[in-house]
Amino acid sequence: MRTYIPIFFTVLLLSGLHACFYSDSLMYEVEPVPGDPPILSVSTNLDTLHNPPVNDSLEVIYQAVVEGGEFYYVYADVVNTLIFESDSSYGSFWIDSVLADSSGVDTLYMEFYYSSNTNSLADKVNYEARTEILKYAIDFNLGGTK
Amino acid sequence: MRKRIIYTIALAVLLVSAQNSLGQDWGLTFSAGVASSQMNDLKYLQEHILSTYPVEGKITSSFPPFTSASITMFKQLYDHIRIGGGYSYSTTGGKSSYADYSGDISTEMNATSHRLGAYLSYLVLGGDRLDLSLNGSLEANLTSLSLQSYYEILNYSNGISNNYRSLSPSVSAGGELMYTLKKISLGMEAGYLVDLKGDLKDTDDGDPLVDPNDTERVLSSDWTGWYVRLKALIWLKL
Repeated sequence: MRTYIPIFFTVLLLSGLHACFYSDSLMYEVEPVPGDPPILSVSTNLDTLHNPPVNDSLEVIYQAVVEGGEFYYVYADVVNTLIFESDSSYGSFWIDSVLADSSGVDTLYMEFYYSSNTNSLADKVNYEARTEILKYAIDFNLGGTK
Repeated sequence: MRKRIIYTIALAVLLVSAQNSLGQDWGLTFSAGVASSQMNDLKYLQEHILSTYPVEGKITSSFPPFTSASITMFKQLYDHIRIGGGYSYSTTGGKSSYADYSGDISTEMNATSHRLGAYLSYLVLGGDRLDLSLNGSLEANLTSLSLQSYYEILNYSNGISNNYRSLSPSVSAGGELMYTLKKISLGMEAGYLVDLKGDLKDTDDGDPLVDPNDTERVLSSDWTGWYVRLKALIWLKL
């Protein structure tokens, strides 16, 4: 019986060791209530053109308006190449004909990022965004330049 | 000053009244239980940190009563009086947090008190088995505080950790009720500890931990509060 007493006290001591260090594993879990989704309106100078030609270069002018939210970023790429990025909701950039290897129609992608209004932690620190991708067909007309 | 003189006289009266019964025994006590702490400055800092969250977080714990333990070695100086020294330990902490589907953010504080000091006990009522004593101690209190903030949002994560330390004198007074079983006594003790507060300083660079709203004010640890502990006493023949 006596041999078990030290074992009992050792086990008791070891089982209480974790209590010597304060810890709180509790996390305050929240399910965010989303606000109304923002409305994005984008206009460009290509809107009214049908397959605008890129003879030497082509200027693209854009304007984005976010109603009930915040504009974050715009990326533009063509022929799998990023040609423009900006955090300005209004601006312009040029598409150069040297981007294309041959004549023909290609697609200009413009990706607009704006606030999600989900009221989540990521939304509050501008890490979470809605995305809208616009596509424009553009015609590379290399002629005798290549 | 006047109070100090009164306390000194009272102590001297107690010692003189019991000096005719000199003993030689030594003893060792172990106790473990719960202690509260005020930690007003750290609670204030915790609220300030929470207010800097980009979302509405919550304080899930704020320096609650937590583990306290002590070990004391004493000499039975007189029938009624024991003197000795010992080590005491207390810990507590706080946490504020927020978590949703997109990530989480949390701030944790862990405070630990290590106290070394002198111990004095006076037997008020002594029977064959049951003893009721008043006791007190004067200690040097070393506080360690770790402050960790961490966030993880989508694929981004970051964290910061700081450690602080403070030193302060503390005084405690209380009572203990013990039941004697041959060479061992079991019982409990309870009392109140007054911590005279110590300014917290960064362990790396020695910079004080200042009030974020008043940089002239240094924040301090404060272990003032009650304690309740189960106690075991072992008699030693040295």
